[in-house]
Amino acid sequence: MSTESKRLRRLLMSNPLSMFGLVTVTVFVVLALLEAITFGRLTPYNPYAPDFQAANLPPSLAHLFGTDFEGADIFSQVIAALPVDVGISIAVVVVSAVIGIVLGTLAGYFRGAFDEVIMRLTDMFLAFPQIIMSLAIAATLGRSLLNVTLSLIVVWWPSYVRLVRGAVLAVAAEDYVSVSKSLNSSFFYIVRKDALPNVLPSILVYATTDIGSALLTLSTLGYLNVGIPAELPELGKMVSSVTYNLYLYPTQVVIPALVVMIMVAGFSFLGEGLRESLDVKLRPHILLKGRALEKLVGAQPKRGKGGGPTPVG
Amino acid sequence: MFVLLGVALIVFFISHVLSPNPAILWAGPKAHPETVKAVAQEYHLNDPILVQLYYFLLALLTFNFGPDPQTGRPIASEILFYAPNTLELVLASMLVIIVLGIGLGYISGMRFGTKVDSAIRVFYLTTWSTPYYLGAIVAVLVFASYIPLFPSSGNGTVGFSYTPITGIFVLDSALQANWPALQSGVDHLILPATTLALLSFGIVPRIMRSSILDTRWSTHVKAARARGLGEGEVRRRHVLRNALIDTTTVIATTFGWLFSGTIIVEQIFAWPGIGQFSYSAIISANYPVLVACVFVFTVGVIVANFLADVIYPLLDPRITLGEGG
Repeated sequence: MSTESKRLRRLLMSNPLSMFGLVTVTVFVVLALLEAITFGRLTPYNPYAPDFQAANLPPSLAHLFGTDFEGADIFSQVIAALPVDVGISIAVVVVSAVIGIVLGTLAGYFRGAFDEVIMRLTDMFLAFPQIIMSLAIAATLGRSLLNVTLSLIVVWWPSYVRLVRGAVLAVAAEDYVSVSKSLNSSFFYIVRKDALPNVLPSILVYATTDIGSALLTLSTLGYLNVGIPAELPELGKMVSSVTYNLYLYPTQVVIPALVVMIMVAGFSFLGEGLRESLDVKLRPHILLKGRALEKLVGAQPKRGKGGGPTPVG
Repeated sequence: MFVLLGVALIVFFISHVLSPNPAILWAGPKAHPETVKAVAQEYHLNDPILVQLYYFLLALLTFNFGPDPQTGRPIASEILFYAPNTLELVLASMLVIIVLGIGLGYISGMRFGTKVDSAIRVFYLTTWSTPYYLGAIVAVLVFASYIPLFPSSGNGTVGFSYTPITGIFVLDSALQANWPALQSGVDHLILPATTLALLSFGIVPRIMRSSILDTRWSTHVKAARARGLGEGEVRRRHVLRNALIDTTTVIATTFGWLFSGTIIVEQIFAWPGIGQFSYSAIISANYPVLVACVFVFTVGVIVANFLADVIYPLLDPRITLGEGG
């Protein structure tokens, strides 16, 4: 186990993409946590205190991201918004993953009518375009953090049910599971010992990238000014509140949006790197940088999996 | 069809059951109590829930969403006016997605582990991570304001007298051989369509790349080479065609992202489509219009998925239509 995780770490570190993802995600999650547990003492300025003499300043050392039309520090506003953005996105994905694990395991393990009902239900929910559906729900429920989170979870859980069910179906067909069953193992024992360890890595990979997508959708809701309470800072909301300044002070609009982009990119690069590193089929190709393998394979054809193309012509 | 009914039920549940007082929502937050009463009457919101459901389904089936509370015109005819414009934008984006997505994914997969591969991956992962509002704002700022290559707003109909046949401006002006109008339409279409496409397409090259990687070293490709087929033929008939199967499904799912994206992109580019229509409905708390738009968008996604199911068997000989429902 520990050598396996060491190998995984080496694979992740060897790839600049996933390295960038790992660093970005760590920085933003730590910043968000610190800002949340210190109750907003991390910000260099009061993010909402107007200072009209310092209005619309460009980025500088005193104001890293510049100031807005009231002279409030944009960097402080961005930091203040992190707990909401990062927190809700992670919460949405974690809750959806848990729902997915529970429903997906039950559906995949017991099959039958229950499976049928669950799958038809996920089909319906998957038919909705995500942003549009959560937008409608958030608009219906009214503004509150809980409502926004719920509106996102409603559209987020079905893909996890699909993912888990598929994996459980594959595991349940294995011989060792039938052996375990014939030895009278309980449902929970089989799930804990056989199904979950096989399912969790792929969920983890999917969820990492997915936190980025949740963040994108959340900030789009914020940009549309739906669901997020008026008094709470959110990056998408910050963007839309200053878009009328776009041509005069483009940095005010673009910087908070860029922060969203960098965070989302961090999560997707990390997820992408994890996926590739965990893919057993690709591993020899990654370690040998793909091309090299094709040359090597003629000389030492050891692992059965990775036969490269033989030169033609 | 079954999914459609389920979707209708979910929309009904959200709009009629979930909300504490639908009439206030439908009349708008600052409406006079008399107006709220009138709205409740108009949209049958005081009736028992099953009667409400009946009227709701009837409205959907007859494509009659009632009058728009703000303009007084029927919502259905407003949607029919905006829908072709959105279709124009979405189909143009789709074209960009298919060409760029499949092309980039193929190159990336065939050059696995090289600098080209990394560059393509960084490109599509970055565009995928870009929020629609950022991408659209930057596109307007850079390509319409700093380097004025393209017009920044509208769909180019202004100044042209044209008789709608399909309602899709570019298509109509081409059909009527109205070349200046076509030029204007295409000029206005390029920037928003490309923006929308690039911001939504990330998953297409990603899946294309990973299916290329799955097929490239697989036994049947080796077998094809062993049979003595030329490299070009192996790539075209065995690698590319196999990889396209997974990619088709994914391309259908990007329709959902495209529709979602139109809400932001159409608003920023002032494109007169359903996206902008729903954006203004959200901003002005115009609930009946929002519900109608959500339904129309969802039907669009379902139709797109259906089309993908039709194309699927053409690519994969193992699957025939009608098998397994």
